[in-house]
Amino acid sequence: MTAAPTLPADQQRLAEDIYRLMVAQGAMFAMDTPIRQTLASLAAFLARREGRDRAELEAAIDLALSADSRFIREVVDGEVRFVTTRQGAYVPREDADTHSFKQRLHDPEHPLPIDDISVVVSTSRPAITTVEPVYISDYWQVQLAAAPVAPEPEAVTAPEAPAPVAEPVLEEVPLTPEAAPAPVEEVAPEPAPAALEVPAPAPVEEVAPEPAPVVPEIPAPAPVVEAPAPVVAPAPRPAQPPRSTVFTLSDGTAIDLRRPVDEIMAEYGDLLAQVLAERLERDPLQRIVSFGRKYYPEANLASFGKNDLRKIRDYILERNEPLLDTEIIADLYYHNPRQADYEGFRFSLNYRLHREKDFEFVGVEGAYLWATRGLTITSGKRVKAAEMGQITSYLVEGYDDSSELQSVEAVRQSGSVTRLLTFFEWEYGVLPLDAGLAALLPPPLLPDQRTAVLRFESPQHYTTYLVEVRFPAGNRGGWLQGLEEFFREHVAPGALITITRTGEPNVFHIVYEEGPEQTERLLTFDEKKNRFAFANVSFYCVVDEEQLPAQSRYGRLNRLKAFPMGERRKAELMLEHVSETIGDQVGTPAAPRYAVTLDDLYVAFNVLRPGSRAYLKALLERGEDFSADESTPGLYYYAPAPRASAGEVEEEEDEALEERPPLRQRYGRYDEDE
Amino acid sequence: MDAKVIVFGETAIDRLVQWLRATGQPQDIMDLVRQYLEILSKAVREENE
Repeated sequence: MTAAPTLPADQQRLAEDIYRLMVAQGAMFAMDTPIRQTLASLAAFLARREGRDRAELEAAIDLALSADSRFIREVVDGEVRFVTTRQGAYVPREDADTHSFKQRLHDPEHPLPIDDISVVVSTSRPAITTVEPVYISDYWQVQLAAAPVAPEPEAVTAPEAPAPVAEPVLEEVPLTPEAAPAPVEEVAPEPAPAALEVPAPAPVEEVAPEPAPVVPEIPAPAPVVEAPAPVVAPAPRPAQPPRSTVFTLSDGTAIDLRRPVDEIMAEYGDLLAQVLAERLERDPLQRIVSFGRKYYPEANLASFGKNDLRKIRDYILERNEPLLDTEIIADLYYHNPRQADYEGFRFSLNYRLHREKDFEFVGVEGAYLWATRGLTITSGKRVKAAEMGQITSYLVEGYDDSSELQSVEAVRQSGSVTRLLTFFEWEYGVLPLDAGLAALLPPPLLPDQRTAVLRFESPQHYTTYLVEVRFPAGNRGGWLQGLEEFFREHVAPGALITITRTGEPNVFHIVYEEGPEQTERLLTFDEKKNRFAFANVSFYCVVDEEQLPAQSRYGRLNRLKAFPMGERRKAELMLEHVSETIGDQVGTPAAPRYAVTLDDLYVAFNVLRPGSRAYLKALLERGEDFSADESTPGLYYYAPAPRASAGEVEEEEDEALEERPPLRQRYGRYDEDE
Repeated sequence: MDAKVIVFGETAIDRLVQWLRATGQPQDIMDLVRQYLEILSKAVREENE
């Protein structure tokens, strides 16, 4: 057995050898991660490798490593261990985070004195009305709690009050450490950190004088030293008056939040909903978005790309009718209503489609229907929407008398509305959206919604019709269109029809009272010749004889001129024409005077355009050429203003004929008469 | 919170957003108003207590 190496060179070599061993062992460690080995393990390994005595080697290792600065010797449970790192001597990491960015951000090095938290956080409303959470660090919360609300003179002059914080910072603590309280003793050896950990406005201000705006608010050094330290013995805050629990809306409505929420909702629910909806709409961050009455976080919206929109549009066009959102989801996205995110996905779809110009919402509450550009909802638009809106404007002008026959409440309760069909309604398949129908049909879901599409089912014929409801807008009235086929096939003008709600919000039943077959010569409109005429018409429904435009009763109706729709919106002109056509001439040829009853006027007027009796009465009262017969209620006289005499008219016509070259010469064609 | 500083529709609206996100479902406007009132009432009560 060889003697153990005892020379310093041997120790050095041994220490170097072990260091390389341990660094190799911790090759994957971080540079400063400790690499530990027990003395026994090292000795056992080297003894086996070098064939030396283990006890001697253990002593040699202990000696060599203890003398090497790269190793730290530690004894744990009687076991000797050596610690090193890849970078040499092990230095325990200091994790004390005394000056982090967060701390620097919220705990200023030179804090301002505060009397109120509003010094730190402004309570004034910002220019941009974004409401963001304001984080007030614990530091300022402590400062606020510790700061005296109002400086009291006796507190400044109190000599017996201890000043444990100010003194150590002023380098007096090291001289009298035993007199200082415990917290101060901890910070006394290091005055600077103490100033950070126990911030007090006055001492810091003394150590590092600050710019002018700070100095006036800081008391002079001397009084501060004598002043009681609020950190150690905070003065009890005076009891604040109870804060208000009443908030006020912009219209002055005051609401006490101490009241139960149910009570507040019952009294102000609608108003608060309106205010909240407006505020959320104006929120620049759009954190909560809406569709109809539903609200959803914008961050939770599912995204729909251009391909999705194209796919939806193509599908609607393929089906050739407005589609429910649930149909689109089921057919194109295969989403199941039982899925947890179904309602969110549905909301996202509706919200996205509503923002696209290519799509139009035509649904109602409970049935979200979507149409798209290029889709024809109702066939045949013989009346333009703009013209129809003007024609039905009398409804929004206060001449809607539909509630006289059936009150709005009765319609709402019964869920059905009954009305007599006029010629115009029968001919064009439209129904003015009067108060009765408006009470029956669902209102628009969206504020900017123009149209809703409903499904009218005929239980008598098992047929279905898509009906387009055009809602009133501004000074234009509303109407329903799309019933032309049903009216023309099954009923006649003067028929009594009933429209009834069903369980589906967008499905209605339309029925009429059936009757024996009747054949009458009724007024019809020949669109090709653009004139009215009587023709034999068979129908199987009960009609009101007063409203039936039969030749036997209203033989002059075929003399009505088929004005273009643009002209028919001029109600005064139409009334004059109707009075002149169907009225009885009771005047002289030079001064004609026509007598006509209101009932006849109503039927004839409604051949050309819709109009209520109230509207007709108003027109008759306004018209200068109309006068009521005082002795016969409902009888009116129309005396048109004198026009040019008949002879003058003939002369004018002759002159016009002479000036006009014959058609044959001009165009090489024959006149119709020739 | 002093109720005088409440701006209905702005104050504590972030808490309403959190609640709405937590529900995971679109909510009716009346439910939204009810929850918002609960939030405001709680904030005012906590402050006074």
